[in-house]
Amino acid sequence: MEIRIRGVSRFYYAEGKTIKALDDVNLVIPANRIFTLLGPSGSGKTTLLRCIVGLEMPDTGEISIGNEIVWSKEKNISVPPEKRGLGMVFQTYAIWPHMNVFDNVAYPLQVRGTAKDAIAQRVAETLRFVQLEGFERRPATKLSGGQQQRVALARALVAAPKVILFDEPLSNLDAKLREETRKELRTFLGRLGITAVYVTHDRVEALALSDEIAVMRAGRIVETGTPKKIYFDADHRFVADFIGRANLVKATVQAEEGGCTVVDCGLGRIACQHRNLAVDSEATLCIRPEFIHPAKGAAPEGGNRIDGRIESMVFIGEAYEAEIRVGTELLLAKIDPDAQLEEGDAVNFTLDPAHCLLVAI
Amino acid sequence: MGNARTRLTWILILIVGALTVFPVLMLVLGSFSEGLTAFGHFTVDKYVEAYTDPAFFEVIANTAVFVLGTSLLSTLLALVLAYLNTRTDIPFKGLFRVISIVPMMIPHLLFAVSWALLLNPSNGLINLVLKQTFGLDGAPFNIYSLWGMILVEGLLELPIAYLIIAPAMSSFDVALEESSRVCGAGTWRTLLRVTLPVLRPAILAAFTLGIVRSLASFAVPSMIGMPGRVQVLATHLYTMISTGFATDYGKAAAVGMSVLVASVTLIVVYRALTAESEKFVTVSSRGFRPTVIALGRARLPLFGLVALLSFALIVLPVAVLLYTSFVPYSMVPSARAFSLMSLRHWTTVLEDPISLLALKNSLFLAVVGATLGVALSVFVAYVIVKVKTRAAGILESLSYLSFSFPGIVIGVGFMWFFVQTPLYATIWALLLGYIATYLPYGIRPMSSAFIQIHSHLEESSLVCGASPLVTMRRIIVPLLIPGIVSGWILLASMFIRELTLSVVLSRPGTEVLAVQILRYSEDGLWGRLSALGMVMIMISTMLVVLATLVGNRFKIASE
Repeated sequence: MEIRIRGVSRFYYAEGKTIKALDDVNLVIPANRIFTLLGPSGSGKTTLLRCIVGLEMPDTGEISIGNEIVWSKEKNISVPPEKRGLGMVFQTYAIWPHMNVFDNVAYPLQVRGTAKDAIAQRVAETLRFVQLEGFERRPATKLSGGQQQRVALARALVAAPKVILFDEPLSNLDAKLREETRKELRTFLGRLGITAVYVTHDRVEALALSDEIAVMRAGRIVETGTPKKIYFDADHRFVADFIGRANLVKATVQAEEGGCTVVDCGLGRIACQHRNLAVDSEATLCIRPEFIHPAKGAAPEGGNRIDGRIESMVFIGEAYEAEIRVGTELLLAKIDPDAQLEEGDAVNFTLDPAHCLLVAI
Repeated sequence: MGNARTRLTWILILIVGALTVFPVLMLVLGSFSEGLTAFGHFTVDKYVEAYTDPAFFEVIANTAVFVLGTSLLSTLLALVLAYLNTRTDIPFKGLFRVISIVPMMIPHLLFAVSWALLLNPSNGLINLVLKQTFGLDGAPFNIYSLWGMILVEGLLELPIAYLIIAPAMSSFDVALEESSRVCGAGTWRTLLRVTLPVLRPAILAAFTLGIVRSLASFAVPSMIGMPGRVQVLATHLYTMISTGFATDYGKAAAVGMSVLVASVTLIVVYRALTAESEKFVTVSSRGFRPTVIALGRARLPLFGLVALLSFALIVLPVAVLLYTSFVPYSMVPSARAFSLMSLRHWTTVLEDPISLLALKNSLFLAVVGATLGVALSVFVAYVIVKVKTRAAGILESLSYLSFSFPGIVIGVGFMWFFVQTPLYATIWALLLGYIATYLPYGIRPMSSAFIQIHSHLEESSLVCGASPLVTMRRIIVPLLIPGIVSGWILLASMFIRELTLSVVLSRPGTEVLAVQILRYSEDGLWGRLSALGMVMIMISTMLVVLATLVGNRFKIASE
């Protein structure tokens, strides 16, 4: 079900100061997709999620889920969380320690007054779905972190919610388990075809899981788009920088040439992906390290040819991280671990205009 | 939701405020009044009278020596014990846990009685033994003195001081000491320049709390001080309101004011010190196991000392009471004494209507008082932990206020209030007084239970579709049960032995166990006293054992 958020703000008052946790957020979360709210801590993503689910009341605006308005300041509508029919997985999982796995998962059905045999059947189905068959009678707190996470997921899914919400559900798992669980979650959600709202500060998680990402900063939505759009084609410098490692170079727009926007910068004259920017305006050129392929010797043909010198190389396992000096700029590049290069080598490389991104300052 | 919480907060502020601030207010008003029947006519006569009394200065001097000596003794003993336990290879370390917990099961009044039975100058058991063995004319020891009071009260305050100092000692980062050694300082210099200064907040906290508790103590001064005519503030107050025909509650209130002010001030100091002590602990707690010092040849003698101390703290008082409850009069244990043993005192006590009434009243107060106290504590703790408004902060300060109230002083305040109401001389007066004075002891376990319940547990129930009421019933209450049970038992075991407040508020018809025991001691009926005392110890011990069992059972569940 589609979620529409209009003009939502949320203020906190602390020590006489007003903090805008959410600042006039407008957002449409499409139905039956995995939608991620991504942002650094304190950007308001969890507050927005808690406003959707009803655990926090916004100070302004309107939120509707499907055709139902669940919160509206003007119309004085406030549907409490228990009446919204949603499912949520908490950061701490919130597994009730005094209940076993079955009771935890059955709870949403029990409070709805579902018949006993229907509950048993539905819980069994859901536990099979999250691959926890046979765990019914275990005390829930005796499970591993990954299993607890799946109990929390089962509990959120069991009553067929309109929307399922996730508040950083993987942040309490160790790195390896986090990766496995992420894949599992992707599979589960892909099979369900349900509207899912996912909050995280981990960009890899966001890129790997989402159909669509909204990047937040200081209580506002900065940019919305598919993972590829956000990674390769961000409009904002903050988004480009936050979503992955990037070389950011100050540039001045010079001209429009052959479908490219041409800029002058510390790397020389560079043709970039087209942007509607006025000549002489300032912009930031963003180049991801994995698109810089330095080599020794004869320079290949093509535009955007750049000469530099390797200033440092650090072996990090799957690659070398190299710093390449080009004039006054220092560019970070990711080089194949078997490259025959050394510190101090003079190198050259070309940049595909499609990988030269101009973002607003 | 927000409105309901605000309303709840203010209702609780009113209730707790009435329970804690009201008696203080009445005490202040009472101290400026002519007498219980002439309430409201402003006068400073009582202050003049109380503070110009020539006996008053002796009382102050005695009190100062008593509280300082007690705190010094208990803190020093605790320091030595904590050091031996955490830093040396002394054997049988389980004994230290026993020392820190078991003495709390023995009511202070009975502990004092047992020492009087051992060391009183006329027929104290130890004195009798020594006189017989060495053919002495007079008794070598007299417990009925300031030094006797300090010894007994010091032993009573030892467990509390130990519980404050030992955790600080065990979380002490040994690297601090080691770096001092590397810098060239010897063992003693390191102890004086590094170890003790780092532990200073904890040591001072234990010392301050010792002063507050001995200042409020009534059991030892009444049982050991009064027979030796050593008056301290608590007994001075008691004398004014209980003896003779001219009981003077105005004068008692005037004296009580200074005790109250001193006590509240010291508690403020204590709370500041514990906050500082916790800060020290967090800085150095890194799961570091302090290196253990080998005691070598001193190992067994030192252990003997600890064993002797635990014997004196735990076994001796109970053994003496039990023995005294069976023999007809004070006599040295001998074949003849054992042949004369009977259940006479037990049957007399259990057939005595006043003792039975006292037992019934105490049980009623323990059960009903603990139930009401815990019910109130649940709501107060909920607001303190989960509602973070300024009003909740006010409630927190209010609810911990009575922690610093000396029972006998606050009893006088309550007296001024109850006398103007139909509650006077009823069991309800005692009930209200108990709950007001011991509320912090109910709130503490409850708020730690609430802290353990992460707000997500509550919120996820709401998201699952459960109403706030269902959430309360199915999630919050089940998770709170361990806290509720241990809070209930703690309050009940304190109420069953309550003395200081009861001694003021209890009237014919509303006798309680501790007051009845005090009466027996005033009449010198040691056998009956011991029998009734054993009943009290048995109920009290049962409750503590129950609390431990229940606590262990639920600890697993809430992990």
